[in-house]
Amino acid sequence: MPDGRTRRVFVAMLREEWRLHGRLFRGSHFALFPVFVAVVTAGAAGGVVGTGTAPETVYAGLHALAVVFGLHTGSIGFVGRDAIDDLLGDLTLLVFSARTLPLSQPRLLGVFVVKDLVYYALLFLLPISLGTATAIAAVGEFPGVASLAGTTALLWATLTCAFVLGMGATLAGLGLAGRGLPGRAVFGAVLAAGAAAWATGVDIAAYTPYGVFLAPTGPRIAGTAVAVAAVSLVGAATFDPTARRPARTVGPTFRRWRRRLGDPVATKTLLDVHRSSGGFAKVLFSAGVLLGVTVGLTDLAGRITGVAPSAGISLGAMLGLSGFTTYNWLTQSDDVDAYRALPLSVAALFAGKLRAFLLLGPAVGLAVYAPAVVWRGGPVGEAIAGAALLVGVACYIFGTTVYLTGFSPNEFLFDTALFAVFGLAMVVPLVPVLVVGFALAPVSPALLAAIGLGSVVLGLIGVALYRRAVPKWTRRYRQD
Amino acid sequence: MPAIQIESFRKSYGDVTAVGDLSLSVAEGELFGLLGPNGAGKTTTMETLTGQLVPDSGEISVLGVDPVAHPTRVRERVGILPEKESPPSFMTPREYFEFVGAVRGLASETVDERIERWADRLGFAAKLDTMATDLSRGQQQKVMIAGAFLHEPALVFIDEPLANLDPIVQERVKRFLRDYRDAGNTVVLTTHDVDVAAELCSRVGVVYEGGLVADVRPADLPAEETLLDVFLDRVDATVDGVAGDA
Repeated sequence: MPDGRTRRVFVAMLREEWRLHGRLFRGSHFALFPVFVAVVTAGAAGGVVGTGTAPETVYAGLHALAVVFGLHTGSIGFVGRDAIDDLLGDLTLLVFSARTLPLSQPRLLGVFVVKDLVYYALLFLLPISLGTATAIAAVGEFPGVASLAGTTALLWATLTCAFVLGMGATLAGLGLAGRGLPGRAVFGAVLAAGAAAWATGVDIAAYTPYGVFLAPTGPRIAGTAVAVAAVSLVGAATFDPTARRPARTVGPTFRRWRRRLGDPVATKTLLDVHRSSGGFAKVLFSAGVLLGVTVGLTDLAGRITGVAPSAGISLGAMLGLSGFTTYNWLTQSDDVDAYRALPLSVAALFAGKLRAFLLLGPAVGLAVYAPAVVWRGGPVGEAIAGAALLVGVACYIFGTTVYLTGFSPNEFLFDTALFAVFGLAMVVPLVPVLVVGFALAPVSPALLAAIGLGSVVLGLIGVALYRRAVPKWTRRYRQD
Repeated sequence: MPAIQIESFRKSYGDVTAVGDLSLSVAEGELFGLLGPNGAGKTTTMETLTGQLVPDSGEISVLGVDPVAHPTRVRERVGILPEKESPPSFMTPREYFEFVGAVRGLASETVDERIERWADRLGFAAKLDTMATDLSRGQQQKVMIAGAFLHEPALVFIDEPLANLDPIVQERVKRFLRDYRDAGNTVVLTTHDVDVAAELCSRVGVVYEGGLVADVRPADLPAEETLLDVFLDRVDATVDGVAGDA
């Protein structure tokens, strides 16, 4: 695009992203988010490292988080268009404007990706890098300002690369999936090659942004750069954001499902999840990501400290967090407005969501947990306590999320005050449990009993919060 | 008893007054038009009448029920076509009607029979099993219209019902609305289209800046005066721009 149009489109897209977040998450609150992120990551990193966790574990977790963040950013921009439309009404992003304006579609996509990269690198990854590096330096022996600045810059660069890798993977995955069987075969072959390399002992992590952060040697930097560039190029070459999909015709399912489920809102909700992009597999995928992060962290912690964490407790606690992502998927395709023409109270809507959650949330968590805990091994008592913990945490997080955000669980992610309350509500019960799981394995029978009891209490607190949420949101939804 | 009775209704959003002081009565069997420019308070009024919003003050009765105290009971008895909503993205029209029927407690056989009737009337039989997200705007609007009337309510609130419809379907909907009124039902039509209000409505209330500024029967207007004249006169506007802007 000549005559400065690329630059102007880039600026317009940045403004669009800011306004989108401002609309979704209330502008003034969102503006404080980078500061909050820096403070929270500093507090969390300092606390975790100060109580004996190796800094490498924290850095590994952050890089995993950046990849996941990139995966989600790519998918929200493209896969989640239906969901965003449902949330905000008709929405046309500039990236989709190639049909109506004299702008090249590949260039638009490129500008969109660069915009996301700049936006999130500045607003999220920079505060995370600054907070983490500073806190870890403060806990240990202070390395000096120059060294701290170097670590921060390196961390920011590698986290940004991890984010790009995630975004590129989403675009490449979608692009290849859209190319029919050959594309899917290529995608499957790449995954199989990666799995084979991992199974035969190749140190894949060395050629990732995390590997570069640990040891920024020439071969590692070159290998990582090639990997990130390759994934991004495949994404750019294969993904078409304006591709029209054919109209989907499906057989009547609602009545059949409703006969089994009873509640029409729960039935509709599960149909939404089933038929929106990714189907039920996306719920499993979200839990799978948590599983991957937990396994990686427990492995690393075990290698560094020489004490193997409790698989049951650590997996149970972490996979319980999938309750949040599950509720997120259950509310992605609708909002309260969608039901206002019908004789349904807000209480009835929440009851439908609760039923859908109880059917899907704990079941998905346990479906991922059971094989994982068998794979990781450990005492049966810890496995049982972990399962109870998973269900308790999932119900607790459901109740907390409903109470704080109603039908918009994404909202608090960018609302500083809400996020702080939510974070505190998660940290208070989970940190002690994770300390037990990571540092006190094998867990004594008395502690296991306490965790079992605590799981029941957490579940009950979740139910109580849900009950309090109903009148609160009934009032609020009728005010505006 | 009137179908709708409103006394001194007020509603604000923060510092913005959406409806100032509205009093209005709609008789049973009327096809009543609520006409006004964008932002006049039409949708707020309709959402309050159907229990979706709580007014700041005022007394409201819909089919003898207070929508503030009993929002769900009102919505059981009325039909609603919101302006901006579309059918759920991941349901087909057939499934959406089954969902509406289930929520409203209709028998499956009744729903099936009405699905066929509405699909024939508005011409979307070929799209009954297509996911709503893949329907055109016009097809989605047809589905929403049918959904509002599925339980054949005695009172229906419809907001810009003809939007996105082709001229043929517009005529079918207009004819249906007149027939529905002639059968003794009440229809409240919210629109900013003066021609639609003049053609369809037996009575029109013009709202402007949150208040009722005119209440006319188009059929009773003198030959030299049109509803557009009344509208432009009462909302203080000319076809060249709002008078205050000059």
